This record gives sequence, structure tokens and C-alpha cells, in this order.
Amino acid sequence: MNAPSIERFGEGAYLVVLGGGIDPAVNRRAHRIAAALRTDRAAGGPWDVPVPAYESVLVSFDPEAIRPAQARRRLESLVAQAEAADAEPDHTADAQPDHAAEAEPGPPIEIPTRYGGPDGPDLPQVAERLGLSESAVIELHAGRSYQVYLLGFSPGFAYLGPLPPELRIARRYVPRERVPAGSVAIAGAQTAVYPTATPGGWQLIGRTDARLWDAAHQPPALLRPGGTVRFVPLRDHR
Amino acid sequence: MLEVLASGLLDTVQDGGRPGARDLGVPVSGACDAWSLAVADRLLGNEPDAAALEITALGPTLAVRQTCVLALAGAELGASVPEEGRALPVGTSQLVHAGTRIVFAGPRGGRGLRTYLALAGGIDVPLVLGSRSTCLAGSFGGLDGGPLQTGDVLRPLRPDDLTAAGRRWPGGGFDPTARRALRLLPGPSTLSAACPGAYEALVATAWRVSGSADRMGLRLAGPPLAVDAAAAGMLVSRGVLPGTVQILPDGSPLVLLADAQTVGGYPVAGIVPAADLPLLGQLRPGDPLRFRAATAAMARAASRRQARGFAALRSRLERGTSWDLLADAAG
Repeated sequence: MNAPSIERFGEGAYLVVLGGGIDPAVNRRAHRIAAALRTDRAAGGPWDVPVPAYESVLVSFDPEAIRPAQARRRLESLVAQAEAADAEPDHTADAQPDHAAEAEPGPPIEIPTRYGGPDGPDLPQVAERLGLSESAVIELHAGRSYQVYLLGFSPGFAYLGPLPPELRIARRYVPRERVPAGSVAIAGAQTAVYPTATPGGWQLIGRTDARLWDAAHQPPALLRPGGTVRFVPLRDHR
Repeated sequence: MLEVLASGLLDTVQDGGRPGARDLGVPVSGACDAWSLAVADRLLGNEPDAAALEITALGPTLAVRQTCVLALAGAELGASVPEEGRALPVGTSQLVHAGTRIVFAGPRGGRGLRTYLALAGGIDVPLVLGSRSTCLAGSFGGLDGGPLQTGDVLRPLRPDDLTAAGRRWPGGGFDPTARRALRLLPGPSTLSAACPGAYEALVATAWRVSGSADRMGLRLAGPPLAVDAAAAGMLVSRGVLPGTVQILPDGSPLVLLADAQTVGGYPVAGIVPAADLPLLGQLRPGDPLRFRAATAAMARAASRRQARGFAALRSRLERGTSWDLLADAAG
């Protein structure tokens, strides 16, 4: 396990980097660190909302409210605690119930998905290029739960993985100018649902009516960083 | 109350931004030039980050449906009331009368790109995730999540408050439209290792803002910087902030602004600190641009000087209002 690197990012932020690329175990460590920062923030800590990614956490603070060296020491101690908790998954739920609960992925969020047809226009080519039948692609995609590595790209857009090795395929050579909201897509070792209509280059294999993003709803994003997701195939009634 | 007769290039409601949902992929948003937003707001006695209209370059045509007071600050975009043959210069607050229109002549020869139109109390749009800023990427906030459209109505939160008319922001302070070199802090080594020497090259080179410039970022034109393609290819997306200078695969720098995505996977050569973000927000395509090396301590000192300067100008504004009015009366 790499020791985390903590570096200044501009005058009012630190970037914690764990390294190790896209890896579910490393990503869980990043989410534990982010959860520790959120708990500290709720208890009056000097932080803005932390931004966890695959193997990093970016956290801003007001350098006029706390000396950066002091913020760094506080961050180092939070990272060390989160890393120790990660090394011993023996949850001390009584000590910090909210924090411990928040760091847990919880049961998977289910995404009812219509695969193929006009909802998943890339499914035939994907199946052909992977040397699988369309139903095998669906079975593999819906056959496991995925970790929410991070939200980014656009509000509520969750990068999910790892995809089964049999489903790994490159992005489209020419991205689409407009991918419909709710499109279920794969690219590389990841899968995602487009929360809003945006340009996009991932392979579209299905579509859901689930609302991934609703700014007026609390919480606005259906998927939570660090949570888990499962795709549930819907019968085709067409 | 103002009604939009014709929309401009890109006019959005913006306030101090929405930093609290970045972990959900929501850009910070907010005014690209927070200094000018604060000037426009303070002219009306608003909170310095109250929601105002951020006007880009051309400006809309607005009909005054109900007499109100407004303030303008930022780039001089030639606002006027044609019915009264009256200019609305930036750095002033003005009463505008029902039945008249507000038009913009555009930037012409002057400097700067964006101007802020504030109304008493701020513009009355709903708070979404703690902010009134327009999030273009998510189509929410501001006026129905998008830029100003013909027929939209801008209502002040304090429609009957006409007290702040006729004020002028004292001159001599920070000017975000002035051309000067931007401070640049080095990027973290975990992100700059893939673009070796890029920080030094950024500081040593005369850049130009390319045509690819919007609220998400400014792409800079100049000699391409060296990127270690193998190291850059290993990078996975990490959190970024407005002011971050990414180096794209073709070696061109991309400076992130308020609407930038929350994460990015390119090497980071440097970071423009908060004190100089207003200058970034006023750069037009084609403008020359230079960076100068700075440390985090220098950047914080600059922010403090800026805050002290703002407070001093504000107290001169409060004390000097009656003198400005007398000077106006004297011609």
C-alpha cells in the first residue's frame, strides 16, 4: 500500500494522492479519507466539501481562517486515521456512528435498464467486437454490482467499475454530439449513466428512466461517491 | 424590474458560486470576475456576492418595466438609456425609469470582456444547492438553468429600494480589466511531473488567449509545451479548481475558469491564485497574456492587500456618496 502523498494545490487546497490508477480498493481508501474530512468539516473543521476521485482527494480551505501548515497537520492526522481504519476493517461503529455509516457503501442502488434497440444503439457493434452475443453482454453487465469511483464530467455523472474484463471496449472513434439523458454506457473498464443530455463518446448499450440528477431533490444525485450500483434488465415490451 | 427584449452573446445570473456540491460533479460556477461582482453589489449596499447578471461582450437589450436602481461594474460595454440620451458607465449606480430601455454598444476598443449588472438586494431567482448561480452544465440555477432569453424578467429582491441611486465607485483601486502578468503557483509534483519544465516555460513565454475561450476555460496560443506522453497517459482524473493550468496532449495550456469540470486528467503545470482570477475572467480571445512566478505566501499577501483595498474603497464610497452627487450637480 503506497503511503499517501499530500501536496499543496494553489494557496488554499491540498491534494492527497494515493496512486495506483483505477482500482476499487485504492478508491475505497480515497472515499474513507473524504468521509473523514466531511466528518471533521461537520464538526467545525476548516474544510470545503472534499472532492474524492479514483485515487485522490482534493480539499480546499480558507488560508485566512487557518494557517496552511496547521491545515496540513490536521489533514495528515485525518488521513492517517482513515488509512488505519482501512487497514483494520473492524468497524468502531459506536465511536463515530455517522462517520462509519457514511463511509460504508450500503446496499447497491438499482438502475432498471432497457438494453439494446433504440435505447442502446451501440449494443450490436459492442457484442460483435467483443465476440459475444447481445444477451451475453447484458448478462455480464447486469451480473455484478459496481463501485461509484467518483462523480465528475457533469453534475451527477458517476464513473462506475470495474467492468468484467470480457466487456472492456474502447470509446467510440467519433463521439456523439448529444447522448440522451439516462443512457447506460461502457468504455474501458468503466460503465456510467448519462444524467443529462451531453456530448459523449462512450458506447451506449441501454437506457434507464431513473433520474440520476435532480437539482431540486435532496440529495440531487442518485448515486453517491463511494456507493454501489447494480443494473437490472427490464423486459422488452416493444 | 427588467424584461429582456433581445438576448446578448451569453448573459447569466451569477453570484459567489456553489462550492458545496463539487463532489457531485457540480462546477463551482459564480462570477468569473468576483471583484467586479462585489463592486456592482456594494454600490447598491448588497452583500458582495449577491446574484447579478454577468454580461459577456455584447450585452442584451432590456426594457425597464418598473422604475428601479441598478449598478454596473467590470468591462466598459457602453450601456446607455437611448430614450434619455444617458450613458450608464461602469462603476456607478443609476435610477432607470419605467418605459425606457437599456442597450449595450459592446466592448469596442476598450479592455475587458464581462460586466456585472446588479439590482437592489440581488436578482430574485431561487437558491439551488445554496447558490443562485447558473450551472450551464447541469441546466439549473439562475434563470431556468440557462442564459438570458428574450422575454425573461429580472426582478430585484428589494424592488422598492431606490435609495442607492447616483453612487460612484471611487477610482484608483484594483482594475481587473487592466493588463498585467498573472501570478502563477507551481502545480503539485504528482501532476506536474508529466509536463517537465512547463511551469518555467509558462512564465518565460508571451501567450495569447485563443478563440477557444468560455466560462469553462481559456486555451492559450503559443509555442507548444513538452508533455511526457507516457507519464501523462498514466494519469487518472483528479480534482481541479478554477485557476488550474492544465497542459493538453498537444502541448497547449488550458486555464480553467468558474464553470470548469470538477475533475481533470491532464498534467497540471501551475495554478493562478484567487487574487488574479478576476483578471482571467476579463480576458478576451486574442488578448496577450503573461505569467509571473509566485509562491503561495505571495498569493495570500496579494489576496489580503486586495481585500484591504476593497474595504478602503467601500468606506470611501459610503463617506463620499454625497460629494459625488454634488460634483455631478456641478457638472
